[in-house]
Amino acid sequence: RVKANAGALTNFEVLDLLNSRGASKDTTRVIASETVSRSEYKVYDYLMETAASTQTRDSVTKFSDKCKGFKLAKAEILNIINLRPSSDVELTPILEKPDEREIDIEGILALVQELLPPLPTVEAHKENEQEETEDGEQPNMETSV
Amino acid sequence: MFCLSEMEDTVRVPPDLLKLPLEVAIKKVLQKLLLNKVLSIGLCVTIYDIKSAEGGFVLPGDGPATYKVRFRIVVFRPFVGEVIAARFKESDSNGLRLTLGFFEDIYVPAPLIPRPNRCEPDPYNRSQMRWVWIFEEQEYIIDHSCQINFRVENISYPPVPTEQAEDAKPFAPMVITGTIDDDGLGPVSWWEGCSERNNEDDDT
Repeated sequence: RVKANAGALTNFEVLDLLNSRGASKDTTRVIASETVSRSEYKVYDYLMETAASTQTRDSVTKFSDKCKGFKLAKAEILNIINLRPSSDVELTPILEKPDEREIDIEGILALVQELLPPLPTVEAHKENEQEETEDGEQPNMETSV
Repeated sequence: MFCLSEMEDTVRVPPDLLKLPLEVAIKKVLQKLLLNKVLSIGLCVTIYDIKSAEGGFVLPGDGPATYKVRFRIVVFRPFVGEVIAARFKESDSNGLRLTLGFFEDIYVPAPLIPRPNRCEPDPYNRSQMRWVWIFEEQEYIIDHSCQINFRVENISYPPVPTEQAEDAKPFAPMVITGTIDDDGLGPVSWWEGCSERNNEDDDT
């Protein structure tokens, strides 16, 4: 007996799950390998390069709730959360037949801007992975906000 | 592109795992069975939780303990129409192949690459063909230089072949066909600076 679809998950939720297993903690990936397999790490690595890596449960939930006023399908809301579009041209391919529906594109983009954290930058990603060391040269990292 | 799937199955836990807490042992068996495997519902990415396990009977003449287990897994199964961020893997005269790292069987066939375009031998890689989109007299090469967004057209689960030629590509049990022929799709560098919203008013 199978319930094929017991609920869609955002990329954030899957990343959160892998983090709770310790995927982020061990940069050598040896110790955590008891709980996180190689194939799971590949999913983790992919997600860390997407919007999910800077999102929080709070921001994703708030965004989903506020989307209710925009007449979007659940799948579209999920897609927006996963991709975090920041312009008209990034948002429209996500929407089905946008010309035949009266969709408040500007409103959705404003909400994304307001509630969903910006996409990860390469430098920020590396900073999170490195531990603070006193010795050794620091590569030219900008101070994080 | 991920969803939860609930399943119920009979799980046999071999004797050497029985010293572990039951949930851990069952999870280990399930992982071996399902992780990174393509099921009818998609690619199993991780075991989410064990909802219940009953039984534990050891059948006569059999070492493992048998449990009836109800559990949930996370599967990778995009929906048609979903836009996904991917990377370039390779290309040939049939089209492009994209990858997500954990899943590499994404194909954008030639008709779904924006036109006008041309396909030419790749000067950097003699065994490959590369695709170039021509728009307003500018040429846009499709290569690994940046993320490529595509939209899912179709997902198929080809049947396992009974025979395969020696040099045939490894069998792909799940294949995603994608398109990059639309505004906002394709390499993200094509659309950068296109009425991008300013982030200057952010108050983080």
